[in-house]
Amino acid sequence: MKKLGVVASSATLAVLIGVSASAHHSGAVYFEGTKVEHKNVTVVSYTLVNPHGRLVYTFTDDAGTKVEWTAELQSANYSRRMGLDPSSFSPGQTLSFVSGAPSRSGAKFIRLDRVVFENGDIAQLAGPDRGIIRAGVK
Amino acid sequence: MRSRRLALALAMILMSGKAFAQTDFEGIWEPRHPPNAHPPLAAVKLTPAGRAEFESFGPEKDPALRCIMPAVPLGIINPYPTEIVQQKHQILILHEHFHEVRRIFMDGRKVPDRWAPSLEGHSTGQWEGQTLVIRTTHLSPDNNMTMTGLPFSGDERTYVIERLSRDGNVLNLTAEVHDPTYYEEPYVMHGRWDFAPKGEILEYECIPEFGGVQ
Repeated sequence: MKKLGVVASSATLAVLIGVSASAHHSGAVYFEGTKVEHKNVTVVSYTLVNPHGRLVYTFTDDAGTKVEWTAELQSANYSRRMGLDPSSFSPGQTLSFVSGAPSRSGAKFIRLDRVVFENGDIAQLAGPDRGIIRAGVK
Repeated sequence: MRSRRLALALAMILMSGKAFAQTDFEGIWEPRHPPNAHPPLAAVKLTPAGRAEFESFGPEKDPALRCIMPAVPLGIINPYPTEIVQQKHQILILHEHFHEVRRIFMDGRKVPDRWAPSLEGHSTGQWEGQTLVIRTTHLSPDNNMTMTGLPFSGDERTYVIERLSRDGNVLNLTAEVHDPTYYEEPYVMHGRWDFAPKGEILEYECIPEFGGVQ
């Protein structure tokens, strides 16, 4: 009954159990409904593949320790249609902000939903306004 | 001269092997699935065996994370474009998702003896007016109903009936998945696609090492 309760308690039941425009594998099963945010992160690696892309990054936490997190992206095909490509991120690149839903396992692993680049560009990777938003472009 | 041109045109149509006596589904279709593509969980009536399977679901039971083609029923409705090729003896549904190829036999053939269960099963189609009715049997148990872990037994009693119809530039699908081992009643899903003559089907290579969830 545990998982049934988790899924049924969601406010977006239809999306969780169905195939939303953005859904591939269900985030509800593997990720919390909460969000984590990290600022000023440094890209370690970026791979745009199916079934999921992956972005590994580091940052210095509040205790002054350098920590490494992994972010899962949508599939390569879906990400491409949202405007990402294999050169969207590169090792050593600084990103002003990343956010996503944390893994239910407690691992340093998120489903990426938003990135803010240093130049102000935004990659919105979830929700109805998915896509790349260029800084200064309305 | 004119009659010769007409005859030539007619001959070309006949030789093309296309089968548009009924609805023309040919082309690329972009997904625009409705909110009720899948029923709300509260409306799904699982058997005790189905509920036990659902509650034990985890990444290791998600075929797509292992790069196993979702196929039928999991891949019937997916968020990627689909191309349909209509021939006289078969209709091909070419999903971008996992390079899935569905082959719907339209020539009245029966399932051959010893047809092994598979992710696509064995599909035959027939026309009911302008609606294509597809019956799929011989399905694999290595599959699910949904990405959220609703199960699919894939035993010998399972089969799927799909009804595909066209309303202008909209393609509508209703699929009834019959799985009495795991469901008290048929599981019904709805798909909708928009005709996309300029749409693109991308390659969908899949790398299992990137399917894991930590």
